Amino acid sequence: MDEQHSAPRGEADSAVLVADDSGRALVALVGPPNSGKTTLFNRLTGLRQKVANYPGVTVEKHIGRVKLEGEEVVDLVDLPGVHGFSARTIDERVTKDVLEGRVEGIRAPDALVLIVDATRLENQLMLVEPVLELELPTLLVLNMSDELEARGGRIDDRALAERLGVDVVRTSARTGEGVDGVRTYLAEVRAAPGGAERVERTLANVKSGTSLPVVDAFAARRRLVREVVDEAGFVPPGPSALSERLDGLFLHRFWGPLIFLAVVLVVFQSIFTWAVPLMDMIDYLIVSSGDWLAATLPDTWFRSLLVDGVWAGVGSVVIFLPQILILFLFLGVLEDSGYMARAAVIADRMMYRVGLQGRAFLPLLSGYACAVPAILAARTIDDERDRLATIFVTPFMTCSARLPVYALLIAAFVPDQPLVGPLVGQRAAVLLGLYGLGIVAAVGTAFLLKRTLLRAQPTSFLMELPPYRVPSPRTLALRLLDRSKIFLRRAGRIIFAVAIVLWTLTQFPRTDLGAPDIEESALGRIGQVIEPAIEPLGFDWRVGVGLVTSLAAREVIVGTLGTIYGVETADEESVALQEILRRDLTLGSAIGLLVFFAFALQCVSTVAVMRRETAGWKWPALQFGYMLLLGYTGAFVAVRIFG
Amino acid sequence: MQSLPVVENSAPESVRELRLGDIPLRQEVELISIDLPADQAEPLLERGVLPGCRICPVRATPGGDPIVSVDGSLLALRRETADCLCVRMLSSLKDAG
Repeated sequence: MDEQHSAPRGEADSAVLVADDSGRALVALVGPPNSGKTTLFNRLTGLRQKVANYPGVTVEKHIGRVKLEGEEVVDLVDLPGVHGFSARTIDERVTKDVLEGRVEGIRAPDALVLIVDATRLENQLMLVEPVLELELPTLLVLNMSDELEARGGRIDDRALAERLGVDVVRTSARTGEGVDGVRTYLAEVRAAPGGAERVERTLANVKSGTSLPVVDAFAARRRLVREVVDEAGFVPPGPSALSERLDGLFLHRFWGPLIFLAVVLVVFQSIFTWAVPLMDMIDYLIVSSGDWLAATLPDTWFRSLLVDGVWAGVGSVVIFLPQILILFLFLGVLEDSGYMARAAVIADRMMYRVGLQGRAFLPLLSGYACAVPAILAARTIDDERDRLATIFVTPFMTCSARLPVYALLIAAFVPDQPLVGPLVGQRAAVLLGLYGLGIVAAVGTAFLLKRTLLRAQPTSFLMELPPYRVPSPRTLALRLLDRSKIFLRRAGRIIFAVAIVLWTLTQFPRTDLGAPDIEESALGRIGQVIEPAIEPLGFDWRVGVGLVTSLAAREVIVGTLGTIYGVETADEESVALQEILRRDLTLGSAIGLLVFFAFALQCVSTVAVMRRETAGWKWPALQFGYMLLLGYTGAFVAVRIFG
Repeated sequence: MQSLPVVENSAPESVRELRLGDIPLRQEVELISIDLPADQAEPLLERGVLPGCRICPVRATPGGDPIVSVDGSLLALRRETADCLCVRMLSSLKDAG
């Protein structure tokens, strides 16, 4: 797990930030989803935090350091939002394991901070019994207390503290009010680290036995919560008029779906228009710095490896960063404002018909930028079969790496003429058709999967609709930082390796003059070896080489074809390359190539992420084979139709 | 909208017939039982949807699925799930003491 040892972010913190036996106290932050847990975590730790994965699972581990008075420091771990510790979902399993000290690389916490949304106290306190059963010193944080009072709710926190045998503070994590109370508590834990004497609580007498049937156990827990809440004189807040009015709009029979569509379009549009200047800038920086390196370094194999291999290869992935950041900025705003839950509810009926569920909407939308973050986004899908089906079909969404390939071939083969009226040209129609092809393949595959490999009883989709809130810029910024780091690390590492392998294949066997012509190189020979297989599609070894190199990232085929055909600095707008392609490929083959790229999983980053997210090679292998087969068949059919 | 059956104390069979899916908007009812396998019932239980709790459909999604209010939280369900939740009217609760 090399990711676990990566350096901490921000500041010049040189010490490795792991919760070890360094003598620092470790406090775990627990709470149900939408309780403001992450906002509080960010308030307390700021930039002194890092993200990694728990060993063997896909749950993110957030550990941060809280600076207290003077040099005092406490480690804080932000656990996933859960409703209980039944270990039904991965999140719950990890939370349970961390709290019981059964996770490698992180010791059992000395104390707990349980955060709940005070406006929904009865609902949120369902966690209190399992948390108190751990018998650790606990601080109960009544978050959103300002909102509770503003809406006419009340609670006697002293009575609550007495009844539960824990400390209680009120906060508003969003405004920062009351967060000092949490710091004070952490300082007390710091004063007595490891002094985590098990706390015997009167509550232990009331706790529901684990041997009880499920429903009874929950009913007992519920009765306890009711008692606690009554004793603490909890008066629930009045309904939030704003939330109700917004729901009336966003879930309106007519306006709801319309707003949903508009949101999707805006996200979609922004990925492609706003990101372009930034991507051009990154492209310029990569190319010019590569040129500078090439001019500065002596002409050796090392320069070639660095500039042509690593620089160009890693650059071809880094260029997608702006799109991914913009996508995540939008998704973050939608998520934190509470709209995403409504969007998932609106999408659910549609998704359910094809065998997916509402939560699949988010990863599928993300897939239009890049399948890698999209597959990671599917973690929120609580049903394992639904999650697998979703990430299996996500790469069918037309990711932005396909666009340069589409642009080159369409520009070369499709005349720039109007099709229906002056607005829809033939080129746009073909591009739209390719997007449509991806959607059809995704829907068909999901449908198929849920009737074969992932067949299951229809699951019950359940979505909590949190109150609408203004997103915190701080939380958004920190998340963007996280996302970009994860993307660069995941994609960068694999692309780095692939770039070196591809470069090496172009360098051997050596000739007297150094590197061989591409036709004679190992890579060229691989192209010739697979030529018989792709001949029925009308592709020769040159396209074959492009298909191999495009495994690094789909758009790499454009540069490869440029190199093979000897067109300097070829990009998708290169007229010279378009002319050569028109000469070398038939219309049928060109369309075949487009179809192939629409379907085939030409992306090692996706395969690597799939392996991680499914903890094995079975799913990525199946996915790669299936999509390759579909791509090949599709191309074959296209060649026969268009000649 | 079909009229709701009047629930009598002495007719527990007909009580079981009433499902959450049949309840009109803004009519608060009491949950009696959850007619779902344990693994599907558990997420409901964790969110406070338990036998004995008060539950109230507050809105329908554009697709016709219910959004219910439980303990001050809003939950979106599929109507298939709502049809597996047996409920009874609160008025009969009072009679039953």
